[in-house]
Amino acid sequence: MSMSLTFKTLTRKRGTAHSILAIALLVAIYASAKATVNYLDFQAEFLGGLVNPGATYIILSRNATSVMESRIDTQLSKHLTEVAEIEQVFPQKISTANMKTEYSNVAVNVRALENVENFLKYRGARINGTFAEDWFEANVGEVLARTANIALNAPLTLLNNGKTVNLTVAGVFRSQTELDSEILIPINAGCSLFAADDKRSFIEFTLKEGKNSVEALTRLAERLPPTVQVVKVQQPSAFIQEANMQTTAYLDVWSLAVYAVVALASYIVTARLTAESAYELAMLKALGARKKHIFTLVIGYTVLTALLGAVLGTALGVTAAQTASTLLRWLMPTLEIAPFLQTEQVLKTLLLTLASALLGSAVAAYRSARLGYVEQPL
Amino acid sequence: MKAVNRLLSFRYIKWQRLLTLTLIVTAASLLFSLTALSLLGFYRGFTAYLGEEENIIAIYNPKSRTPYTSSVPAYLAERLAALNGVSATSPEVTAPCLIKDQAIFLRGVIPENLARLARARDINSAIAGKKVAKKLGLKINDRVLFQGVFADRYVELQVKGIFTSNSVLDDEVLAPLHVGQWLRGLDYNRVSLIRLKIDRNTVTPNEIFKVVAAESAQPTQPTQPTEPSEPQPDVQEPIIPWTTATFSLEDVSVEEAAKYMRSYMDRYGATREALITLSAAVFLFSSSTIILASKTILTQHKNEINILRGLGTSKKLLKTDLLIKLSPWIIAASFAGVLTASAILTLIQGYGYMQVLSHTVPFQLDPLVIALNLILAYTLVALSILKADLE
Repeated sequence: MSMSLTFKTLTRKRGTAHSILAIALLVAIYASAKATVNYLDFQAEFLGGLVNPGATYIILSRNATSVMESRIDTQLSKHLTEVAEIEQVFPQKISTANMKTEYSNVAVNVRALENVENFLKYRGARINGTFAEDWFEANVGEVLARTANIALNAPLTLLNNGKTVNLTVAGVFRSQTELDSEILIPINAGCSLFAADDKRSFIEFTLKEGKNSVEALTRLAERLPPTVQVVKVQQPSAFIQEANMQTTAYLDVWSLAVYAVVALASYIVTARLTAESAYELAMLKALGARKKHIFTLVIGYTVLTALLGAVLGTALGVTAAQTASTLLRWLMPTLEIAPFLQTEQVLKTLLLTLASALLGSAVAAYRSARLGYVEQPL
Repeated sequence: MKAVNRLLSFRYIKWQRLLTLTLIVTAASLLFSLTALSLLGFYRGFTAYLGEEENIIAIYNPKSRTPYTSSVPAYLAERLAALNGVSATSPEVTAPCLIKDQAIFLRGVIPENLARLARARDINSAIAGKKVAKKLGLKINDRVLFQGVFADRYVELQVKGIFTSNSVLDDEVLAPLHVGQWLRGLDYNRVSLIRLKIDRNTVTPNEIFKVVAAESAQPTQPTQPTEPSEPQPDVQEPIIPWTTATFSLEDVSVEEAAKYMRSYMDRYGATREALITLSAAVFLFSSSTIILASKTILTQHKNEINILRGLGTSKKLLKTDLLIKLSPWIIAASFAGVLTASAILTLIQGYGYMQVLSHTVPFQLDPLVIALNLILAYTLVALSILKADLE
């Protein structure tokens, strides 16, 4: 009874409102920053969503550190054709080879395909000449052709691990992709150049337009061995999430400083309470209150102050950020910011504020509880 | 004055109690400095992204929402390189991409610009900045898969070198221009922007803009300077020749590189002044704690103050004395806050937590931040002491 009365007396002290405000303002700093960053992250993800995601995927061996090192079974492409949503499948072998021409001798990337024409057409390439169909023909990308002075119908020799293939440039193409710096050859020429096994480096495939990629990939995953991985080529969402995570990581580190100030503020709130309420606390002790009762009383006061401060601060922070953004919009009509906080973020803020407050006030509360009523300055 | 001197020698304030106030001022200063130094660092880093010198000019698309999404005709680089007063041109493509599941920016440049990429035959290679190499664990001769963000494209490049420039480039991968164009989804005739190095005594940005305007009306084939005695500008030639094309003048702008980057920040209301104001607001939000700490000091010394008042010390004298006694503590706390913030920022920068859009945020001690911090801290404590009721 006397404890609850004392608690009431403590909470009705003049300094309580100021203590709540001090914590509220600190929480508001974090809440407003978090709310603004939330909106910026949301906006970035929204803008990322506007990028029409491509439907190209590649299948690589899981343990490969690069596409060239990857080795997968050719038979896997059969599983891909079983999935109705998959439109095009291109198993490929890729490696570096030494290229000898009349003018140059350089290391180049050579890609071997079952149907060079289909692949180049799928990549939207324009070609000067014809598509490579026979084992002695090659198509050369424009970037490589210009760099190494390779002309249409020119002979070229490819060397790889002691194997040599003599080819003729059937066509020079431009695809605006990485193929422009490579040599494309039919797979039968590739088998003469690379290791004669039933392996491919990777499989490139695309999904049909408008098809559910999640369903298709789930069905595909059921058919693939665990030794391979499916990689989506275009990654706007992953990029934005990664970029947003960088901002969040910094904000989290920064919030530690805010919570450190909250802990210090709570220490001061408790120190001030014990200094101002010395009479009440001494009286309680004289009436027989134990150390733990005093400790609980002071900690209870701090928890209440911190909780009210956290709730008020969160509301204040979001409101302040929204008000500031509205004012900014009046000054700059094109600038639209709508800060917000998610429920779990509000709960996290409340909990962290309470934890910081408890940590900060524990020492002062313990000191106050330890003093006997005779030692208590009145 | 005599009374103040007498009171000053009378040590009635317990230093253990002062420590709390000092810690609070240090913490508030730390919070302010952390905010101000990182925000200003971000601002400085962003505006210096393309160079801070006045003679670095950027040709860009003013309609783009970000510098990374700009697109201008590439042939302008050749056309402008032929102008008197233009000593170097650098057409560049900035392409966001994903490497080993990490968000990274690849900058496509003309290979001849860079020593390691000087061999024009290294068309499938790249050089990585020191920080990006450390972040991704890249080593020389590693083959790395780059996945596009703006385009449904991928490319595997071999790391030919790791460089240190002590600039934002350390967070990027440099590759031949065409690689940037693939990953950005641009054709060979377009680039993100063109950087020019000019001699301001010979040519001005305005004159360059006039040339661009004339080009937009009637594109001409680039001409090379004819006089052999004239110093030749650093003309960069692409592997695939650029073709001239008509373009709208509204889509091309000419500005000093730093101003160009600043214009993007201004567009979002992020001026230097606004960022300092925001940081000061953070300090003021923690002001209530400082006032609370000051009042607590007074409450804790209530008995001592009452005795002094009983002995006839005036309120004014007592407040002046308190302020003088607290001053060194406040000044020390304010500096401690700034220094601690710098140490923390250095530490978190080293651990890679201080990044925005995969670029390390640089920071340096700003005299304005130090001064503002001291003024705010001192004013707050002084106000709470002077307004206190010492009855």
